[in-house]
This record gives sequence, C-alpha cells and structure tokens, in this order.
Amino acid sequence: MSQGKRFSDEFLNAFVDNQLAPEEKSRAFVEISQDECLNRQVCELRKMHDLVQHAYREPPAPPASGISARDRLRINLRFGAVASVLLVLGIVVGREIRLPAPDLQPLSARSVPTDDTDVVGTYQAVPPAATRVNAAESKQPRVLIHVAHDNTAELSQALDDIEGLLTYYRNKHQSARVEVVLNGKGLRLVRADTSKFAGRIAQLQKEYKNLTFAACQNTIDRLKREQGVIVRLLPGVTVIDSGMAEIMRRQNQGWTYLQV
Amino acid sequence: MRKFLSIVALALLSLGAGMAAQAAGGYAKQKVVYHINYDDEHQLAAALGNIKNHISAVGKDNIVVKVVLHGKGVDLLKIANSNPDMQQKIVNLKGEGVAFDVCNNTLVGRKINYKNDLFDVSEKDIVPSGVAEIAKLEQEGYVYIKP
Repeated sequence: MSQGKRFSDEFLNAFVDNQLAPEEKSRAFVEISQDECLNRQVCELRKMHDLVQHAYREPPAPPASGISARDRLRINLRFGAVASVLLVLGIVVGREIRLPAPDLQPLSARSVPTDDTDVVGTYQAVPPAATRVNAAESKQPRVLIHVAHDNTAELSQALDDIEGLLTYYRNKHQSARVEVVLNGKGLRLVRADTSKFAGRIAQLQKEYKNLTFAACQNTIDRLKREQGVIVRLLPGVTVIDSGMAEIMRRQNQGWTYLQV
Repeated sequence: MRKFLSIVALALLSLGAGMAAQAAGGYAKQKVVYHINYDDEHQLAAALGNIKNHISAVGKDNIVVKVVLHGKGVDLLKIANSNPDMQQKIVNLKGEGVAFDVCNNTLVGRKINYKNDLFDVSEKDIVPSGVAEIAKLEQEGYVYIKP
C-alpha cells in the first residue's frame, strides 16, 4: 500500500475540493490516473463530497422562538390567508393592467438589433447589458468537450478542433480550461490498447497544461462487467465517476458544453 | 410592520409575474446556437428542418438563432451551391433572421475560398474559430443544440 500513502488524506480532500495549486493539481491528475487504488479513493471522496454538498442545499430549520406552537400556527394561518388573497389579487390586477396597454410590453419594445444580449429568460434578474458583456469577456473560458463516438476520421477532426480552441485562447492571451470528457465508445480514444491517437494526445497534454482528458468510470466498469476488459488509460488521463454526471456538474458550475 | 411590508412585496412580485407570463406568449425569448460539424446531406436537411420548426414554435420575433459551421459542417454551404433544395432552405432561414457563422480555421485548414466555394458568405460571417465561437455564445447566454 505504499501507493496509497503517496498522498495524504488532506491532500486528496483538497484535490477533490479543487483547492490545490495548478501544478500540484496536474501532478495529482497524473498520479491518480496511473494508480487504480488512488483512483478509487478519489472517486469515493468525490461521491462523499457531492453528498455533503447535496445535504447542505437543504435550508436550515428556523430557530425556535418564545411563542407557543399553537399561537405560531394561528399567526401563520392568518398571514397565509392574507398573503394568498393578495397573491391572487396581484395576478388578476397584473393581467388586467397589461392587456389593454400594449406600450407596457417591455420585451417586444426592446427588439433593437444592437441589443440582442437582452433576450434572456424573464424569470431571472439580469444586470445591465454593459456589465454583462464585460463579465463574459473577463471571465476565464471553461469549456467541456464531450466525445462519445469512435469514428477515426471524426476523432482526428475533434482533436484538431480541440487544438484550434486551445491555440485560439493562447493567441488571445486568455487563460482557459478545457476538459474533454470521454464516455461510451469515446473511451476508446484514451485507452492504451485501442487509441489511434496516443502520440497526438501526449503532444497536446505536453503543449497545453490547461487541457485535461477525463474518462468515465461507469464506462470502465461496464467494459469489465460485460466484456471482461480491464481498461488501461493513456498517461495523464484522469477518471471521473460518471461522464453524464460530470457534464451536468460542469454546466451547473458555468462551463460551456459542446460535442465534437 | 415587517410582515406587512413583505406581504406587499409579495403582491407586487406576483403582479410582475402575471405581466411577464403574458408578455412571453407561451415561450420566453430564446437565444440558440446550433452546432453543425457533419456533411451528411440527410442529416443536414434534417437539422435545417429542426431550426425552421424551432423558429415557428417560438415565433420569429422571440428568437435569435446562430448556426456555427466548422469542420465538415462547412460543406453545407458547398452543397447549397449545387443543390437548389438546400439553397432554398438556407435562403428561407436567413429570411427568418438566422445567421450562418463559418469557422476560419476550417477555411484555412481545408483551403476553402469562401467567396468562390461557398454559398452566400461574406466577411462578416467568418469567425476565427468555430468551437471558440460556440463557447463564447454559450457564455453570452445562448443555449447549445446539436441536431
């Protein structure tokens, strides 16, 4: 178990919580992807981490006050009734005011061609256009690229696209993060025994430290279960619990998604 | 007093919600980026059909659509030069306000001259990198669809 001791528990936790410095992190990625035992440890930690986060999403219970439960119920009922009456009233009045007054339509009135950034869902609060554009420009681009096929010609094109994207950001002096998620047939791209692009991938990894390849553990498990294949990954390829879960997670964290 | 104020705020909020729901007429305003990187004619025709149906469902004034073409997807505009059906589909979509953005990396890599080889492309339709363009549009709030 000397491998298990290569990293302390604190270090692995920091890795899962994304609190490591970039160099430490890339070293961890490399080590973890080459060591099945460590890999599983990280997977378990990730699961735990997600569960903890999930648990804390529930709002905490309000503190008990000095009023008796019965009194509180009575007060709550009274305010509840008043609030629902006002709610219904509000909706009805809202509809009434709107219908006969077309100039109150802020959305259609705003269809100025230069202002297409304003077309957003009406349910969210939106900062003024100027600050939003600046935020989008200054923000570090984080792109998740999903590969789920093993068509050789298309994979070659996909690697070109990934390299093109990384070069584009480098030329613009923009620090970006690009994560390539491989699941299903896409896993073949990063399997040591099946990849036709091992050299190209090694070269990309060497050239761009902001690029990671992430293989889906579910796919690896399925291959073992259904075909008895023990998957060995190319050096530097990291493992994530589930490709689909990673895609959802990253999008929730504000990453952009695209499929090549 | 605080409770009263919060109830008033709630009532105002619901009034706003009532107005917003009306303004949308079923769908809220949408910004969508369609990603095309394949050259199969059936698949391309189906993708253009998807876009057409999407616009008629949401309403032309309620939607901004950009189609980003890169890799083999650029061939859509090559095919449009020789296939009148495909060309008509593109003309119709452009009439509905759809923009077709072409990846410059692809043009350079595949030595395509957009003026001669592609249907109805001008300089304003060229983006430096198709993939980076999609990432940028998503950051600006566009929803990603790959048909």
